[in-house]
Amino acid sequence: MSTSLIYSMDLSFPSELGYEVIARDAVSAFARRMGLSAERIEDLKTALSEACINAIEHGNSLRPDLRVTVHCHLEPDRLVIEVVDEGTAEFVVRDNLPTISEKVAGLGPLRGMGLMLISQLCDESSFEPCANGNRMRLAFSR
Amino acid sequence: MSDETSQPERLEKVIELRLPSKLGYERVAMDTASSLARRMGFPDDRVDSLKTAISEAVTNAIEHGNQQDAAMKVVVLLTALEDGLIVSVADQGRKPLAQVSTTNSPKIEEAFERDDKGGWGIWLIRELMDEVEFSTAPSGGNQVRMVIHLE
Repeated sequence: MSTSLIYSMDLSFPSELGYEVIARDAVSAFARRMGLSAERIEDLKTALSEACINAIEHGNSLRPDLRVTVHCHLEPDRLVIEVVDEGTAEFVVRDNLPTISEKVAGLGPLRGMGLMLISQLCDESSFEPCANGNRMRLAFSR
Repeated sequence: MSDETSQPERLEKVIELRLPSKLGYERVAMDTASSLARRMGFPDDRVDSLKTAISEAVTNAIEHGNQQDAAMKVVVLLTALEDGLIVSVADQGRKPLAQVSTTNSPKIEEAFERDDKGGWGIWLIRELMDEVEFSTAPSGGNQVRMVIHLE
């Protein structure tokens, strides 16, 4: 088995707001062991919380019987985290979203910044439908 | 034990953590459990007891049950209840725990005589947690179920 799969961690929790905080603390402890810098861990915490909240609220529509799963593994130069929901709601990418500065200036709702924040904080991020839901993939270089 | 406590915990309220069997990863379990316990309202000293107990349980699973084979997983289940927190730690058991080690208490006088000063983990877990039960996991490995009450 490859090293990256050996040094992997899986976490799953119910779709209830609040559990994203536990996921954040679990994954940041894992990232510390993987040698990610303190500054990158702060970015990771914010991005992961947003990804988990999206999965809980949107993907799983706050249904506590559906679960959110977080897979973490190490690649040679980066830490990869996948947040997977059971996708009851199809994710629709909207065009012409206001930017963060437009939102802060009052030109749009203050909510709905999650995906933008995530893409700013990670070295690479993607969001795609998977077998039984949606998968958000975040990568952080070491 | 009442029938109620022997029922499996409702899946939807469980946090499941699967860790590689490498020493050091017990810290991930400690941080996850303490994050949950703090938010449940446990005081600092109880959170510290929980961290020590879970660290001993996960270290045992890594070192003894899974023989430090990093590809084998240690499974930690955390269940938040109204009145407490249930922590279950299971290994994939290459080495079953001797019954005597889960029931007998080590003696400090004898420990002074030994070169190996270890062997206090299970005793410590029993001292720190409110309920402790050793069993065989569904995977065939060792499992310890610990409960800490919220007063």
